[in-house]
Amino acid sequence: MSTLKPFAVLRFVCVLGLLAPSQAILAEESTYVGEQTCVACHGQENRHFSNTLHSKVFRLNPKNEREKKVCEACHGPGSEHAKNPKDKSLLIGFTKGWGTPIDTQNGQCMACHKGGSQLHWPGSIHADSKLGCADCHNPMEKNSVSGLLAKSTINDTCQTCHQQQRAEFNKRSHMPLPEGKMSCVDCHNPHGSATRPLLKADSTNAVCYACHAEKRGPFLWEHAPVRENCTTCHAVHGSNHDKLLVAARPYLCQQCHNLSVGHSGQFFRADQTAAAGQLAGGASSQRVPGRACQNCHSQIHGSNHPAGARFQR
Amino acid sequence: MTIACDEHHSSLSGVTGKATIRPRLKLLVLIVSLTVLPFAASNARADSGNGVDTSLGNALNPAGTSSAKEKDPNGLGIQEFSRNPSGFLVTRPNLPTVPVKNESGWLTSGSIEIGGLTVSGDRREAKFREYKDLRNDGYINNLDAQMENPESAYFVDAFGGAVGRQDQYYGFSFGRYNDWKVKSFYKEIGHVFTSNYRSLWNGVGTDNLTLNGVRPGGTTNAATTDINIGNAALATPYSTLSILRKKGGVRADMKILENWNVFASVTSEQREGTRPFGLVSGAGGGTGGVETPESIDYRTVDLLAGLQYSDTLNSVNLTLSSSLFRNNINTLTIENPLFITPPAGATTTNGIALFPRAVFDLYPNNDYYNVKGEYARALPSFYRGNLTALVSASRSRQNDNLIPSTPYAGAVVNGVAGGNWDTTSSLSKPSAGAKIDSTLADFSLTLKPASGFDLKGKIRYYETRNGLEYLACNPLTGQWGRLINDGSGSAIINTSAYLVPGARCNIAATAAIGVVPSGGNVDIRSIPYDHKQLNYTLSAEYRLGKAASLSAAYEREEIDRAYRERSDTNEDRIKLGYVSRGLDKGTLRISLETDRRRGSTYVSDPYGDFYSVALGPLPTATGIAANPWIRTNDLHRKYDVADRDQNILNARFNYMLAPSLDLGTSLQAKDIKYPDSAYGRNDHQRLDSASMDLNWQPSATLSLYSNYSYQAGKMQQAGLQPNACVIGTTYNFLSDGSVQTGALSPAQIAAGLSIVASRTVLGSNFQSLCGSVSPTSPLYPTSRTWDISHRDRNHFISVGGNYNFAKARLDVNYTFSNASTAIKYGYNAAALGITPAQVALIGDGFPDLTFRKNTLESNLVVPFSNKVSLRLLYRYEIGRIRDWHYDGVAQNPTPNTNQATFLDSGPQNYKASAVGIFLTLAL
Repeated sequence: MSTLKPFAVLRFVCVLGLLAPSQAILAEESTYVGEQTCVACHGQENRHFSNTLHSKVFRLNPKNEREKKVCEACHGPGSEHAKNPKDKSLLIGFTKGWGTPIDTQNGQCMACHKGGSQLHWPGSIHADSKLGCADCHNPMEKNSVSGLLAKSTINDTCQTCHQQQRAEFNKRSHMPLPEGKMSCVDCHNPHGSATRPLLKADSTNAVCYACHAEKRGPFLWEHAPVRENCTTCHAVHGSNHDKLLVAARPYLCQQCHNLSVGHSGQFFRADQTAAAGQLAGGASSQRVPGRACQNCHSQIHGSNHPAGARFQR
Repeated sequence: MTIACDEHHSSLSGVTGKATIRPRLKLLVLIVSLTVLPFAASNARADSGNGVDTSLGNALNPAGTSSAKEKDPNGLGIQEFSRNPSGFLVTRPNLPTVPVKNESGWLTSGSIEIGGLTVSGDRREAKFREYKDLRNDGYINNLDAQMENPESAYFVDAFGGAVGRQDQYYGFSFGRYNDWKVKSFYKEIGHVFTSNYRSLWNGVGTDNLTLNGVRPGGTTNAATTDINIGNAALATPYSTLSILRKKGGVRADMKILENWNVFASVTSEQREGTRPFGLVSGAGGGTGGVETPESIDYRTVDLLAGLQYSDTLNSVNLTLSSSLFRNNINTLTIENPLFITPPAGATTTNGIALFPRAVFDLYPNNDYYNVKGEYARALPSFYRGNLTALVSASRSRQNDNLIPSTPYAGAVVNGVAGGNWDTTSSLSKPSAGAKIDSTLADFSLTLKPASGFDLKGKIRYYETRNGLEYLACNPLTGQWGRLINDGSGSAIINTSAYLVPGARCNIAATAAIGVVPSGGNVDIRSIPYDHKQLNYTLSAEYRLGKAASLSAAYEREEIDRAYRERSDTNEDRIKLGYVSRGLDKGTLRISLETDRRRGSTYVSDPYGDFYSVALGPLPTATGIAANPWIRTNDLHRKYDVADRDQNILNARFNYMLAPSLDLGTSLQAKDIKYPDSAYGRNDHQRLDSASMDLNWQPSATLSLYSNYSYQAGKMQQAGLQPNACVIGTTYNFLSDGSVQTGALSPAQIAAGLSIVASRTVLGSNFQSLCGSVSPTSPLYPTSRTWDISHRDRNHFISVGGNYNFAKARLDVNYTFSNASTAIKYGYNAAALGITPAQVALIGDGFPDLTFRKNTLESNLVVPFSNKVSLRLLYRYEIGRIRDWHYDGVAQNPTPNTNQATFLDSGPQNYKASAVGIFLTLAL
């Protein structure tokens, strides 16, 4: 990062900030007009909205006065907007062009959706990055099976911004997200959590154990990095190597092990593959082909065998 | 109430296998299931905070429903090119569903897509069907049905797909909107590990694998056995190793009062199948390993219940969860094809003549419980603050019965009889008694002390407490260490002076004897790793204008670890961020983070208390190999606790190139430096990614997109191939870097070699002389250093779109992944004793690891009416993979003479296509 010039960056972003246009401010004198007034102009919007869960909740079984307002439950009172539809300051909008401040937009959503899974939203990385709820959700159409997402899947929604992860999930080894069997939200809570990467559990390992409960142990013989953090060895979003490993075996193991006895410090090289072993001068090593170190240390996540300190049984 | 599927119901009843869900657990599951419905709760929104299983779909239907729906020509409404708050184009909506009202007032809708698939090409290759199940057959691709009663607000919703396939999925829910909801699911996930496995065993998938055509325990000698195994493997056709996860569950949610929600869920997963595994025999891997299959038969039951409250100021979550894992194959017995050669002059190994089988103790049953309380309070009158607190406590327990070290009777180690090593009386405890408790406490306070200025403080504490204590000592004999690999090898201290009743399996008493153990690196105790982690963060945000903000954050992370190379590490992180949403046509988010991790003195070998070095004084006698007391390279740094300097730049920028055209870009540049790591992962590590998306939606009839990502990575590491350190031996260091104990030979002299240094190892100096890397260390001479560089290059492209021809709709998606990893190395051939012939083969690195995949999927939908349409699906995949781990394995599964046997020929290239014809019927 030595090539970056932080102060130049700072100057650049300050200039961008000063260029930012002012945002709309909602008129306070507006009153509620009822959804029929809205639908009179927004029939097409209503066609789609009627398929959404919000529509069902607001129209079929509202629990409070706010929910009974239907369109205005989210967009605020519409009387002034009805008089002057072009004035964007008169109604809360959830699009880039409408210009409602993001805190106002999100405040409308959080009026009903605070707490629960959104309890950690204030101060979360997505909140600090000024994401709007409507960046990921589109309450105006049923685009996804659940969650009123902006895209048809959770993964597509997340990967709108997290393009790097989309590429990683298409690497040689990956969890089955592209195949529709998992979603980003299996591991992350995009609405905030008590962990830095928005994990859904108390620790990285606790997240992994949700699907890999067998590796939870505890074991008679434990492997230190396994116990502390699965990501020490695994690139969870995808890898060019087998089993989501961060590097090829046996070298990955040798990044920690260089013992004075045995083979962990050996120089493993290309004359030790099964193919090279058949050539003059070559000698296949049992630690290079196949699963390399795990050819023998097959219980690498921990062993419960009394003789399993080296994870061989 | 039962679990969502019969299969799971029957599995809960306890069927086959050794470890079944115990009656108490079954009762617990039943009680939860029965109580879920009446008390269950629904705020009717997806729960992003608890549990997994958030995606029901498969490769052909990633969204769970048909991916070939018609777009609404009228869009979403008045605004033609609507954009979300960040400025991305809102996806053009599909035609909304128009339900039909029946006589009883219920609105109904639904569809089914039924037809057939034909798959040709290399359809059995593992990489083609890794997580999907495309076969020739009739096929219900997807289906869905919805019912709702507008009067009562009751609803029923169902969807599913891939009926009968190993990637099938179903969701079913019913309830009353905004009141209560019960949601259930069932899904299957196949995972094919390899389709090129040569199994030498019958009974794959069970707890007992018997050899088919190869003699257990080998034949005559190792060389003959090696040949026999190789021939048998070559004669064995390829088969597939895969697992199948079958998971079902039910969750209920209910709004019980104005501000209260409760929910409860139970899920059950059955995982069965096989995956690649390995068996090694002999002392420390003296004989080759054999790739065996591992039989998988797991069941995991997860229970979850929660109570949530929220009003205008306060929010409270209380969550209870448990996860109960059961392995129906506690121990795996594999007939062992390897011949174990007895020690010279003996006819048995550790008193055992033949080793016809190996016994593995597979993953043990475990129980996990968690209770979590979360509280948030808005503080409108205190700088418009917001307080969040979380306290969580977890408990993991594992108390499986231990198995003996060997299945063979009569084992005698080091001539000491009476060990009964084939019984659990030879163990220091009969069951594992393993437990780890963990606690998390997290508090954060956000304040707005001035207009446009936010402050946030956060403190987080997490700790694990590992209560495991296990001694590797036979209480019957007092022998320390382990009889390994079913008794075909041993790592047992051969010091007769320790075998006195008073010292038996007592470390302090044994050490008090004052006799040097026969080795310094034999495990005598398990290591109860645990750690405590404290993070505190202070951040501030200042608004620049009304739609931009500048932020700065400082975080310190302190981790105290028990029994690691560093007792504590601390990392300081400084992060600057900028967000501008105010740009007319786009949004910019950028952050720059610099991290610095340091810690206490790095102790390369902190494990002395857990190895036989703890049993007595250090060796001094001439002729003793002292390297087992040194144990490791003192300049090697394990990268998870090493000093680390890290800089990360993240940037995302999206821009409206035209009203109907989006540009989205992201960039990450990550530079990691390990300043104190001479060995291990060292130097600089880089991971840089750049991505660009284009999304064009000019009309309801046409949309196109393209994505490109480039990722480059670099990683360096170094190791040192140890030499020797025998007390009383003089080591000569030659000018070419080699080390030898004798004088220069005439040939060496003729070659111009000279001795540049000599060192004699003594009982008084072996630790200083051998224990540290140096040019004149007999054990770790710098000349035997080797280094590796890993360089990754990845390209990912996807393009696609859809077009509505009025009488037909075409949808095309194409993805291309191209990845390569180059591994290069540097070394001193002379120092490592590598011959010129070997050098020619070794070169400067391995052939690149490469993976290239092209996937084209297209759908042509021809509507016949509002209710009926025809869908033609064509999917074509080409995969190309090169992995040197598998070079030559197919041709010679036993490439060495030490019986090392490789039965998985690895992932193969493939080319396969699927053609589907479906009739889509709207109900």
